[in-house]
Amino acid sequence: MTMRTQPKRTIWLACLILTLALPLAALAVENSDCLGCHADADTVGKTFRIDPVTFDTTAHAEVGCQECHASVTDKHPDDGATPSKANCQDCHDAIGAEYAGSNHHGNATCNDCHNPHVARGATAVSGVDMNRQCEGCHGNLDMVLKHAEWLPQADLHIAMLPCVSCHTASQDNVITMYIIKRSLTGDRKLATFAELKEQAGGKSIQSLIDRNEDNYISLAELRMFNLDSENHTLRLQGMITPEKVTHDFRTLDNRWDCSFCHASGPAARQTSFVSLIQEDGSYLRIAAEKGAVMDALYGTPDFYMVGATRSKMLDYIGMVIIAGGMVMPIGHGTLRFLTRKNRQHKEEE
Amino acid sequence: METTNKVYLQPTPVRIWHWLNAFGIITLIVTGAQIRFPEYISLLTSYKSAILLHNTAGLMVAVSFSLWFFYYGLVARSIRKIYVPTKDDLQFGILRQAKFYLLTYFLGWKNPHHATPDDKFNPMQKSAYMAIMFVLMPLVALTGILLTNVSPLRELVILVGGLKLLVAAHFLLACSLCAFLFTHVYLATLGKTPMAYIKPMWTGWEEVEPGEHSHHTP
Ligand code: HEC
Ligand code: HEC
Ligand code: HEC
Ligand code: HEC
Ligand code: HEC
Ligand code: HEC
Ligand code: HEM
Repeated sequence: MTMRTQPKRTIWLACLILTLALPLAALAVENSDCLGCHADADTVGKTFRIDPVTFDTTAHAEVGCQECHASVTDKHPDDGATPSKANCQDCHDAIGAEYAGSNHHGNATCNDCHNPHVARGATAVSGVDMNRQCEGCHGNLDMVLKHAEWLPQADLHIAMLPCVSCHTASQDNVITMYIIKRSLTGDRKLATFAELKEQAGGKSIQSLIDRNEDNYISLAELRMFNLDSENHTLRLQGMITPEKVTHDFRTLDNRWDCSFCHASGPAARQTSFVSLIQEDGSYLRIAAEKGAVMDALYGTPDFYMVGATRSKMLDYIGMVIIAGGMVMPIGHGTLRFLTRKNRQHKEEE
Repeated sequence: METTNKVYLQPTPVRIWHWLNAFGIITLIVTGAQIRFPEYISLLTSYKSAILLHNTAGLMVAVSFSLWFFYYGLVARSIRKIYVPTKDDLQFGILRQAKFYLLTYFLGWKNPHHATPDDKFNPMQKSAYMAIMFVLMPLVALTGILLTNVSPLRELVILVGGLKLLVAAHFLLACSLCAFLFTHVYLATLGKTPMAYIKPMWTGWEEVEPGEHSHHTP
């Protein structure tokens, strides 16, 4: 049996390798061909520069420059012709159709929000990056003021929630934590790769928080990160990010209702991740222990959602305190009732 | 029929303040409970109204607390006399009062403390009110104010150890206030009649038997 199928398998394998390798080889040449000039700002100018490190790791690297700029010729750039630019909808037809049906369709094109040379999935960008896509047209201060008309602590919400969590039907919101660094001037921003590299001092930046680098962050590791005095300029900030981003851009009624996020109780907020910036600017998500953010103190000291991430331990302590307050009324009250005759006698004097 | 004397024990500002606070704090406890335990408690129809009511009541209680401080500390200048226990209170008074509540009260004896407008709290009350008014109330109000302004006061929040610690402190302080409330209301019914101490807090006047000083009002 095995003997007879083997030649067949080899042929199939050869075909497979051929079909895979042919276009790859062709592409590889062409991407680096273009990047030979386009990676260098001195040759093509700042606006036409494409960062090769970033581009090579995006999903579009495999698509290839030529595929999207089909009309580019051998004589480019000396021919003076402007290479064509592909339509996103040609390949992303489902999203294209969805977006075409949305209210926002007339307001912005795909390229207004996306840089085609930095195409990443929703979980490979930070929540802050997601909001940067809107900021150019919807200024931050303006948005805070508009939302403050009905949203308590709108500034906090706008800072900690990607707009698309509320303005699309995006599902499965999870807690994602990012490392924030305090600069010398005192403001806190997402730590850059270089900053974390320096902090890690020769080790990988993942080891800053995932100490044993097993791609799983335990509560103990979170606690160590938060308590380590070496990390005093770093803090973990949590955001609620969608697992998958839809492009219907409507405001669902339930996003008006605080309880969509807040009133679910701790059971709903068990899943969390730490998202670490990579050299190419993308983010790598690492799963954290279930329920880590509910830890009374050190899961993450700066993330708390009313009505959703309370600690059970504190609930019990609170109950004991309140029960303590009832000891006097109940205990004393009982004795008071039993001894009421003593006082009646005196009070009627 | 005996004639009863009346003593003006609680000045009007104090009474207004007391009942504003009482309603405020009960509102805070109820709405606070809904904010923390929304899946169990839904007295207010929407979560948002619970938060808005809580924040408003919190601000009101914080302002009324400041007024109290201002009135007793600067206008009446009697904060020390009324609230700070004396050496005698600490050495003997507290024990004497505890003995009354826990033992001689049941035997029908009289309260060893006689309240006057300037000395209206017994030694145990003084100590309890000190803890409430100088520790619990300011802390719960301060943590609350930080929690209503997390973004603008972020650096302060981080300074006190982060949002988690702040919420934990606010919650446990609120529980302590709630525990105090039970004891407080209960002690208020320990007069000659259950309403004997509560009425003066409403009308200002306490009725006392001839030849005797007033009792305390919890
Ligand atoms: C020899 C250097 C060089 C190479 C190789 C090169 N380009 Fe260019 N490219 C340029 C320069 C210079 C410009 C700016 C031309 C201008 O100012 O009109 C440019 C402009 C462009 C533009 C922008 C045109 C516009 O006006 O919007 C695109 C798109 C482009 N190149 C794509 C490519 C692609 C795809 C490849 C690879 C097949 C490639 N280029 C290879 C030098 C190069
Ligand atoms: C998935 C499709 C796609 C791929 C792959 C792609 N581009 Fe583009 N490129 C576009 C689109 C669309 C635009 C127009 C962007 C706009 O209008 O904002 C563009 C614009 C450009 C520009 C003009 C400057 C700018 O950023 O707007 C240059 C230069 C360019 N591309 C070069 C390249 C090179 C070089 C590669 C390969 C390394 C490449 N592109 C790969 C779709 C692509
Ligand atoms: C020539 C086909 C093609 C064109 C044109 C194209 N894409 Fe893509 N794109 C792909 C492929 C293939 C992938 C990788 C598979 C996937 O995730 O769908 C991808 C992936 C992406 C991703 C990352 C998705 C993920 O989950 O990793 C984004 C974002 C994206 N494209 C945006 C755009 C935008 C915006 C445009 C228009 C400027 C565009 N694409 C144009 C083929 C294309
Ligand atoms: C108003 C802004 C906006 C417009 C317009 C827009 N997108 Fe997006 N898109 C986003 C945001 C925000 C994300 C999530 C972050 C990310 O992946 O970049 C996203 C994500 C994506 C993804 C990855 C989805 C995922 O779940 O991983 C693809 C693919 C994509 N967009 C394609 C498109 C295409 C194609 C168009 C045009 C038809 C388009 N987008 C128009 C804002 C926009
Ligand atoms: C290229 C500019 C541009 C970008 C980028 C952009 N928008 Fe808009 N958006 C507009 C314009 C213009 C309007 C219509 C005027 C208004 O309501 O402000 C609008 C309206 C909206 C509305 C109100 C729609 C309604 O039903 O009334 C929402 C919600 C919205 N944008 C969300 C977003 C989000 C989320 C992003 C980022 C993912 C984003 N926009 C990015 C231009 C933009
Ligand atoms: C907590 C959920 C939430 C978040 C986060 C959020 N929004 Fe909204 N936003 C809403 C709701 C609900 C409305 C509808 C309010 C209305 O129609 O008055 C709205 C209204 C809007 C409008 C229309 C305002 C008007 O009256 O013209 C725009 C534009 C908008 N949002 C953009 C954004 C942008 C950009 C972001 C991110 C910076 C964002 N939103 C974040 C829930 C949210
Ligand atoms: C004086 C008595 C007060 C009581 C009994 C009280 C009680 C509570 C309780 C039980 C919670 C829920 C906490 C949790 O989820 O852990 C809460 C939350 C909150 N309180 Fe108060 N509170 C009081 C005063 C204040 C004041 C004075 C303010 C503000 C001025 C305030 C602002 C807040 C805020 C913003 C929250 C939401 C915090 C959060 O849980 O994330 N509170 N309060």
